[in-house]
Amino acid sequence: MKRLIYFELRKIFSRRLAQIALIGVLLFTALLSITTYRNKYAYDPYIGQGSGKAAVEIDKAAAARYEGVLTDETVRKMMSDFAPASDLHGMNAVYLYQNATQSAAFARFANQDGSWNGQTVSDVFGDEEIRIGYVDGWLSTSQNMARSFVALALAVIVMTAPVFSGEYEGVDNIILTSRYGRTRCTAAKVTAGVFAAIFATALTVALNLILALLFYGTEGLDCSILFASIDYVEGFIPFNITCGALVSYQVLLAFTCTLSTVGATLLVSAMSKNQAVAFVVSMAVFLFPALVPITEASPLFRLVGLLPLYHVLAVALLSVEQMGNGLLYAVWAVPAALFFLGVGAVFSRRIFARHQIV
Amino acid sequence: MELKTIGLTKKFGSKTAVDHLDLTLTNGVYGLLGANGAGKTTLMRLLCDIQEPTSGQILLDGKEIAGLGEAYRDCLGYLPQQFGYYPEFSALDFLLYISALKGLGESTAQTKSRELLEAVGLSKEGRRRIRTFSGGMKQRLGIAQAMLNDPHILILDEPTAGLDPKERVRFRNLISAFSKDRIVILSTHIVSDVEFIAEEIVMMKSGRVIHFGNPQEITSEIEGQVWECTVPAASAERYAAAYNTSNLRNISENQTVLRIIADRPPMENAVRVQPTLEDLYLYYFKGGYEK
Repeated sequence: MKRLIYFELRKIFSRRLAQIALIGVLLFTALLSITTYRNKYAYDPYIGQGSGKAAVEIDKAAAARYEGVLTDETVRKMMSDFAPASDLHGMNAVYLYQNATQSAAFARFANQDGSWNGQTVSDVFGDEEIRIGYVDGWLSTSQNMARSFVALALAVIVMTAPVFSGEYEGVDNIILTSRYGRTRCTAAKVTAGVFAAIFATALTVALNLILALLFYGTEGLDCSILFASIDYVEGFIPFNITCGALVSYQVLLAFTCTLSTVGATLLVSAMSKNQAVAFVVSMAVFLFPALVPITEASPLFRLVGLLPLYHVLAVALLSVEQMGNGLLYAVWAVPAALFFLGVGAVFSRRIFARHQIV
Repeated sequence: MELKTIGLTKKFGSKTAVDHLDLTLTNGVYGLLGANGAGKTTLMRLLCDIQEPTSGQILLDGKEIAGLGEAYRDCLGYLPQQFGYYPEFSALDFLLYISALKGLGESTAQTKSRELLEAVGLSKEGRRRIRTFSGGMKQRLGIAQAMLNDPHILILDEPTAGLDPKERVRFRNLISAFSKDRIVILSTHIVSDVEFIAEEIVMMKSGRVIHFGNPQEITSEIEGQVWECTVPAASAERYAAAYNTSNLRNISENQTVLRIIADRPPMENAVRVQPTLEDLYLYYFKGGYEK
């Protein structure tokens, strides 16, 4: 069995298209992280302004001044420190961006002219204890991971679509007439598909996290995502989780997405008569939920949200519900992934083993 | 070992590819002959259990092959008419992979793969990627993979296609040496290959067996119907078109000998000759394709 899995993995990774897809995802991930880092901009009245590495340093220094649990006093100090020094010419101060901390404060506590709107921390966040600090780096990482993981899922489709369909182009008759062709071979194919997907996911996740640690360090991992600057949709997740928890959920969802995708792709692969059809149909199946007009407010989203595309888009699925045990509803992606994988594994094996050569 | 088909039928829509076939095959080399579309490939696929019959049974020593599963496939070797390969694999890797599929242990697989690469004349090409192979080399690799598990039933669909004369001789010797106490079934359009190595000929037409026996027995059907006639070279083509001609040989600048299959002497100088398998093949399949 080990040898069969080894050969199946070799088949997957020896395909030029699979190599290009995997390298493409890693390059895309790296480029996304590097450009995001280089495009950072920050201004602080006490330090000055800068971009790239300097902007990150300014943001960190600005965040450090207010680090800790968000209080009304901290809010007032921020509103005073970052008060606009010049006329905004009618621009709403909520959209004013000096640095990540200022933007987060103004988005929630500023009037149109930049003065304090009178709201208290409990008015905005209720009884939640909001720990603030430098969250910009990890929120950028979270945003990039969503894009990178969508590309990863597409790469996993490219890698695994030929697992069964590739054999229909001539080797199937040799496989199906060999002793283990209908039993261990099909199991090895499924196992290799899962291993390949896990390997690609682990590589992409590792690259995202390594670059994030290199560019932004560990600061902010224990801070709440709720005090996000206006740029981040992650701030719309209505639960007081830390950046560390957000990233952990996203990593988990990356794995559940690729495992679900592998399950669906293997099934399509076994049913398709050639690789091209398997690619196209698998991609369509993966991207189809984007066309379904259901928002996360709909009760149906509890089901639709468990489709693999929503795992990697993350924010909508993470916004569904915080359950009694403190976990987010998104953890249901784990049984969903096992379901997709199980169905894909069982039926793809059966379809291939019973396949008739014509 | 006995492989038997009872009323074996395979239909594709309204077309019957194999029509109520009753065959009993015991140890020996069987040559399947028939025009394109006669049902040879379908019969082989049915025997390999990669196509389900519409009706009828295939029994190995009295047991239905469909129920035997791994046990049946364990004693089967198959070379399909057109087989795929993994372009990035080397020939040796490909054989090692097929060995793993056939359940051979790692060291046996290594030994057997190298032996067979040697036997099919690819020992120096073992490390080369298959995508760089010529058609004949791929075909030899296909023959090698079919024999990896020392199968008791070896089914070869057009094994000599793409092989040059030297390779065909090597193949015939390989099969002759291999066939002892085994059932070897091979189909080919190259009648001489079958004539050399097959002990029994199965001639198929429209999904049915029209002849089954050794070459001498079955050619006796056209005994007395094969003639050789010497004609002027200039009119040779006209005669060839007018009669069922199996061969045309120039013996001098202006004389040609035609080998004609006909019930009566086609011309006055016709000389009756001994029929060959090729004559019989042409007698049934002139035109080479069955509709």
